[in-house]
Amino acid sequence: MSSRSRAAVARSTASDRTLVLLSGLVLLAVAVLVLLLGQGVFGVYRAQRPLIDPQISGWMTANATATRWIAVGIGIVLLVIGLIWAVRSLRPEPRPDVLLSEVPGQRLTVEHSAIADAVRSDAEAIDGVSRARVRLVGHERRPAMRMTLWLVEEADVRDVWAEVDGRVLARARQAFAVEVLPTAVRIELDAAASKTPRVL
Amino acid sequence: MRFLLRLLSPLLGLVVAAIGVITLLEVITAWVAPASSPLVIPWPDWQAALTGVTWDSPTVRLVAIVIGIVGVLVALVPLVARRHDVRLTDPVPEVTVTTSPRSLARAVGHEVRSHSDVVSASVVASSKKVVVKAGTLDAPDEVRAAVRERIDTLFTRLPLARRPRVSVSVAATKGVK
Repeated sequence: MSSRSRAAVARSTASDRTLVLLSGLVLLAVAVLVLLLGQGVFGVYRAQRPLIDPQISGWMTANATATRWIAVGIGIVLLVIGLIWAVRSLRPEPRPDVLLSEVPGQRLTVEHSAIADAVRSDAEAIDGVSRARVRLVGHERRPAMRMTLWLVEEADVRDVWAEVDGRVLARARQAFAVEVLPTAVRIELDAAASKTPRVL
Repeated sequence: MRFLLRLLSPLLGLVVAAIGVITLLEVITAWVAPASSPLVIPWPDWQAALTGVTWDSPTVRLVAIVIGIVGVLVALVPLVARRHDVRLTDPVPEVTVTTSPRSLARAVGHEVRSHSDVVSASVVASSKKVVVKAGTLDAPDEVRAAVRERIDTLFTRLPLARRPRVSVSVAATKGVK
């Protein structure tokens, strides 16, 4: 359970990481292969052949139509992969609505903004919290909550926690009719001081 | 580095998509209207150049080395990009509490400056280590002990998951008290 709340701390970068790592490794592998080929590891005569081998270009002229279709196919695959990659990476993190009932004909969802606003105003009512930001993350069926609390100076973190868990989250759990609501709380300590205007 | 990762990932995606588009454009142009063939990329020139170069030529080797270095740099970005959150102890199992290193440094800084014996202080904090540099007009050794004690009381109030190592250095500043 705590792994879900830990996952809610920040947006996952797993897919970005994997794709970027993979691109780097592909570039590295190409470079190593070319160097090995040039060293003559795959045959001394192969190393002395031109980059565009006459044998290959001969095959391409002989089978012009097949070559074109292969090139078109590669182009389409690269375009689709690249677009999906870019769109997935640029898309903002989804804000799921909460599904309360799935019974056909009585499907009931609560809008994300309604929940977020309610929990936020609850959280801002806590003594010692100057500002709060609340959003849901994850999937509609298994939402988790991310909450950022800006604490004033002199606020006791333990007291704030007790309030957050005992009042704010208890109410949210009750409203969603769930036993547990994985929550990631980010705390900004002594943040009230930064509200005062600063001269640069 | 996380910012770099978030920037690099869509860029690489767009590069892949652009290569796809250019391939499609060039192939279809060469097929349908050979007269206007090199549309964007002067590929017949490239083809001629690549036919003349062999795999063991120094140019190819140099280009391969450059590509390899770029590959290592790109592969390093996701490996070093990580969050530097400071964990606090979880109050209940399904709640995770974190704070930012900056916020921890701010809290420590306020605590250190809260007494008049410290005239200036700078704090750098991470989840493992807190470094405090303070300036004082009093005896540095006494102030150092006082600052350390203040930070200790702060950390007993603040339920950090792991207590960071604290290093305090106090220097005497010139001035009139």
